[in-house]
Amino acid sequence: MVSPIYIIAGGLGAAFLLGLLPAKWRTFAYGITLATLAFMSWVAGSWLYAFAVNGALPVEIFTAGTQPPFAINLRVGLAEAALALLMTLTGLHAALYMKDTLFKQGRQAMAILLIFIMALCGVVFTRDLFNLFVFMELVMISTGGLVLLSSDQRALGAGIKYLIVSQLISMLMLIGIVFAYHATGTLNIDGMAAAHINLFKGGSLAFFLIFMAVVAELKPFPANGWGLDIYESAHPAFSALFSVATGGATLYAVDKLLLIGGAQWLPMASAIGIVTFIAANLFALVQTNDRRLLGYSSVAQIGLIFTVMGQQDILGERYYFIAGGILLAHAVAKAGLFWLSGLVKQRQLTDWAALRSQPLLVFAFVTFIALLVGLPPFPGFYAKWDLAHLLAADGRLWLLGLILFGALLEAAYLFRWFGYIIKREGSEAGLALQPMKVDATLGAVVVAWLLAYLWGQLSGHGNLLHAIPLLFALLFLPLEWLPAKVKNIMAIAGLVGWFYLSYPSYDAFQLIFAAVMLPGGALILLASFQTQQRRVGFYPAAMLMFAGLSMLIVAKGSFDFFAAWETLTVGSYFLILRGKHSEPHALSYLVFSLGGAFLILAGFALAAQGVMDFQIAALAQVAKPFAPWVFALLAIGFMTKTASVGVHIWLPGAHAEAETDVSPMVSGILLKAGLFGLFVLLMTMGKQQLYGVELTHVMLWIGAISALVGNLLAIFQEDAKRLLAYSSVGQMGYALFGLALMNHLGWLMALMFVINHYIYKSMLFLSVGGVAKRTGTREMYRMGGLITLMPLSFIATLIGIIAVSGVPPLSGFGGRWIFYNAIMTADYRLPMVIIFLAGPIAFLYLFRLIHTVFLGQLKDEFRKIKEAPFWIILPQMIFVAALMVFALVPGVALRKVDVYLSQFFAGNGHLNWEGLTISSDFGYWNPVAIMVIIGVIFSTLFAWLLFVNRKAQPVKQFNIVFAAERPFRPETTHYAWNFFAPYRKALGFLTQPLVTRFWEAVTELLHSAAEVLRRIYTGNGQTYAIHLLAFVVVVYLLWMGGSDGI
Amino acid sequence: MDWIAMGTGFTLILMGLYGALTNRNILRIIVSFTVADTGVNLVLVAVGYMHGRTAPILDEAVSAAQAVTRIIDPVPQALVLTAIVIGLGVTALMLTYAYKLYEVKGILDISKCKDLKW
Amino acid sequence: MIRRFAVFLLLLALGSIFVNLLMGYVPDSELNLTARYYAEHTAQDIGAANIVTAIVITYRGLDTLGEVTVLFLTATIIGMVLSQGQKHRALQRQLPPSGELLTTGSRLLVPLILLLGAYVFLNGHLTPGGGFQGGAIIASAALLLLLTDPLRRFSHRLISVVESVSGLVFVASGVLGILYAGGFLDSRILSTGTFGALFSAGVIPVIYSFVGLKVGAEFTSMLTNLAETEQS
Repeated sequence: MVSPIYIIAGGLGAAFLLGLLPAKWRTFAYGITLATLAFMSWVAGSWLYAFAVNGALPVEIFTAGTQPPFAINLRVGLAEAALALLMTLTGLHAALYMKDTLFKQGRQAMAILLIFIMALCGVVFTRDLFNLFVFMELVMISTGGLVLLSSDQRALGAGIKYLIVSQLISMLMLIGIVFAYHATGTLNIDGMAAAHINLFKGGSLAFFLIFMAVVAELKPFPANGWGLDIYESAHPAFSALFSVATGGATLYAVDKLLLIGGAQWLPMASAIGIVTFIAANLFALVQTNDRRLLGYSSVAQIGLIFTVMGQQDILGERYYFIAGGILLAHAVAKAGLFWLSGLVKQRQLTDWAALRSQPLLVFAFVTFIALLVGLPPFPGFYAKWDLAHLLAADGRLWLLGLILFGALLEAAYLFRWFGYIIKREGSEAGLALQPMKVDATLGAVVVAWLLAYLWGQLSGHGNLLHAIPLLFALLFLPLEWLPAKVKNIMAIAGLVGWFYLSYPSYDAFQLIFAAVMLPGGALILLASFQTQQRRVGFYPAAMLMFAGLSMLIVAKGSFDFFAAWETLTVGSYFLILRGKHSEPHALSYLVFSLGGAFLILAGFALAAQGVMDFQIAALAQVAKPFAPWVFALLAIGFMTKTASVGVHIWLPGAHAEAETDVSPMVSGILLKAGLFGLFVLLMTMGKQQLYGVELTHVMLWIGAISALVGNLLAIFQEDAKRLLAYSSVGQMGYALFGLALMNHLGWLMALMFVINHYIYKSMLFLSVGGVAKRTGTREMYRMGGLITLMPLSFIATLIGIIAVSGVPPLSGFGGRWIFYNAIMTADYRLPMVIIFLAGPIAFLYLFRLIHTVFLGQLKDEFRKIKEAPFWIILPQMIFVAALMVFALVPGVALRKVDVYLSQFFAGNGHLNWEGLTISSDFGYWNPVAIMVIIGVIFSTLFAWLLFVNRKAQPVKQFNIVFAAERPFRPETTHYAWNFFAPYRKALGFLTQPLVTRFWEAVTELLHSAAEVLRRIYTGNGQTYAIHLLAFVVVVYLLWMGGSDGI
Repeated sequence: MDWIAMGTGFTLILMGLYGALTNRNILRIIVSFTVADTGVNLVLVAVGYMHGRTAPILDEAVSAAQAVTRIIDPVPQALVLTAIVIGLGVTALMLTYAYKLYEVKGILDISKCKDLKW
Repeated sequence: MIRRFAVFLLLLALGSIFVNLLMGYVPDSELNLTARYYAEHTAQDIGAANIVTAIVITYRGLDTLGEVTVLFLTATIIGMVLSQGQKHRALQRQLPPSGELLTTGSRLLVPLILLLGAYVFLNGHLTPGGGFQGGAIIASAALLLLLTDPLRRFSHRLISVVESVSGLVFVASGVLGILYAGGFLDSRILSTGTFGALFSAGVIPVIYSFVGLKVGAEFTSMLTNLAETEQS
């Protein structure tokens, strides 16, 4: 093993050596630079291996042959070695990435780079306070040099701002150091820690100055304008270093300082950190320049880690796992994104659309933003989970809330950016690809996945990258070159096969959901045979969603549950984003879903009270003060997914704009995940009261209003798919209502809904999608008379409508029947009335699908239209058959479940199953008999109609004469346009987009707050120095106030 | 005695900073910072000063044996040496920046250098 | 105006922090632990009469290495920045001739200054002074020459060789410390010699000499580079 001191000696020696070389030997100088950086990385790496794998003890390096505190000593342990490896590797990649620039600037630039990396390692290794100062100054000065490598002239201004601020920082630090030395009689960090600096007169104040100086290097809000300017204008490879290496080293320096200061300084760290995290993320919302956005994001991430540092008193042994996880995720992602930014020519976020021509780079981008946001299976996800649990266990809920809020902001702007890449105009000309740069970026992707695996291993929750469904989904990434049809076969086989394998382990309740999600998904995938070519991106996304779903239903622990939840959220987001106009809708879906997911996380964390492997079943034992809150958090989280009123606004756009075969998936299948969550919640926690309010009663109301509002909004839609989407809001309201009834029949009905809604909503979306595909429009009034041209689609729609509206004889009626029985056993009158009201409204909009689309007159342009493609029709026909069977013998599925549910409502209200007849306390239901009776009535009426109309004469379409002027808006003259105008007059006040307006106002408020507040960054370097001074003074005053004087 | 030096040092720092934060001309800012730097260095050596003692150099006047009772604290002196050199390095760097800025943009007014903001 | 007032208020607050420091400051009457160790052990361990030098070069040698690096770095950056885009910038106006006094004076003084500088860094371990001070003195000779003749050019090549070689010697002696003495930058790879003699205190005089050369070279390089920007 080579002593780690050679990292410093080597870097320094090589830098001096470069000065000896003739200026012309650039290649040689470059070779030395690379070799030195590689050597430094190798030393750091070998020590990391020794510490991590062989369990070596930290190495103490005494300089000058004298023991500390009398000479400077360095220490290298696991954390130091890891950071050193991170920094040297980033440095090596930066050298590779900046090859052109380094060649142009010559050996001097290379020497500066080497010293920069060496000094960062020094900052991490040293255990001497003044030595820390020296290394920090070296970092600062070399930063001043490296900034100038940029081809952007504005970097000059950024550099001088940085130097001005640094002067201030150095002064504070020097004064602090000398007084701290005076107080403790030593400069050694461990010696000072042992001396308890706060006990000395003037000691805390001295420490305060040092602390402020080092913290200022972390770019805390608002003293960070200079940092952002550097991020925006420096060479991207240096910005990466500045974010990753400088950030990491400074954070570690702060960590060492906190040893000296002790626990009393931790709250200050957290406070500064969280303010920075939220402010930077807020400002990033309105940022359009890519590198400045990355700068804000860097500042935010470092603020987050600083917050975590301030919590180390409660994090215990998980501290390095959490802080390290976030730090490494930030480092790899930020380096990767900055490197990626060097491949894009223009600096607006929308210019990144050029990346779209390179799927590999898009994948790299996704990896990086997933790392930053902390999505599974990346380290940030595990860190977020542990952090939330430990914070909640200690009652630091405010902080948890703020962290999650900031994380949501960050996710919003990162995924909006991703939306730009996928959806905006861009051509390959916007890229400046160079093999070396691309390799560096892809290297970061590899490291990201390795870290994901490593953190999974270390997490103690089980490695998500060992989960077979997830691996199966990821398998589609390398197979993207295959034709879509082959991949489709694989996907179907995967879903069915996994269902087959897991079948024995499901209980009755899980089976219902599994059946809908896995074979149900396979059925819808049949429609995907319709697509041509490779369909890049579809299968990984879809299979990610299905992986999440299949993991969700078997999750025993809360961690597995949450991991599955986030997986399916992300997968479905990618899926929805594929629609032609779905960019804003996919984003709002993601933001709502992640917001919901964070509530779920908070709920689980609160419930667990520090237990890391919390079982879902243990929700039942959550004690009093927390229980109702846990219930509320989880319920709202799940209701976000079922799009209950209030958080429903994402649904219509997301479902309507998705691709033809995606709409049924996200509507028919994905919504059930929310219902599953609600089921699990109610099964375990039952009724909860908060301030005397019965929470299930609140859910009942939400369900009823969702049903009413969803249906009302649906009747006024012109767009067939939007109509179906709003109808889902209403349908989910029914299901929620049934669940919240908290009785046997209510739950049975909700379960029946799971199956029914899947079948008819998938069917309707497919048939409407097929029609839309043929006609090229989704506006219903543009269609009409398609019954003869698309008879199969018509049949599917007709059957679907009968099923949805709950009229006999199809299974919808069965649902209704159970439902009304369920209501009879509960005693909530008013919501019941609302629910009853919603029923006929559903009929109004469903009727339009038939009436406007398939009946009436055929439009001229559609005269030659053909039936929908075979692969879209096939699943519909299967659904029709399934509906028939389910209508005739609902017992097949429900009977077992009925028994299963009995355990929750012992001996109370379950159904009696005798042969084909089902009876309850209020009556009986014989599906077969009903079917026969309805069949007889229908055929009689039909025959009679035929008889009456036997002399009717068919009128040809064009034997009417059009006259008069051409209307300004032709659709206004169409009879089916604004069909329910009278109802709108009567009930329109109920359909005011209040909720939409509310959420728009929230978004607007955030954006304008950011727009106003970021004006503090005036661009004047002097103002930035004043910010820093003000920051110090304000913190000082707050601290004095908080500690009643020292 | 020692607090006079220290007080002077602090005053210099405040004066220097006032100059650096109110003057717009970059050269003046740099000069102001040198003033403040000097103040910092003065504070540094003042902390090591002990009344009635002599410089930490062992010669005929102070033998190695009596050093403990006769010399002042040598550490701040060592520190201030480093601090001075670093301060000088930064000053030189800032001057270079100022020159380059003037060469490229023809300005020396810090408030005109605002092409990066928000 | 508002800015001035805000700055004034902020500095007032900063001043109150300083006042607090000042009020809390009690001068030591005894040497603290660290200083006492140096007072007691420097003579026999390191053999340097100037304790500050022993601290600077040996005990806190890593700081000094950093410090030397700061100068190297600054000189390098200045060289890099100023060498760009102004290769053949001829002086446009005629400079007034330097006075007779200055010319002759500098001819007389420069060798003396150089000598003094060398003396200061060679005796850094015995008397007040050392490499940095000596180096600065040497550079002042260069400054004098530049004042005399603003168009005088020093060899960049020579300067950078001196810089680099001195830096390498420093690092190398540090590494030798690991191999042949107690650790990185241990000055006792040479014998500590007779206390108070010129050739004593281990490798300190050697290092300080190179530091002196290096500092002299770097300051000269900065001065030269800045002088070369003279154009109007």
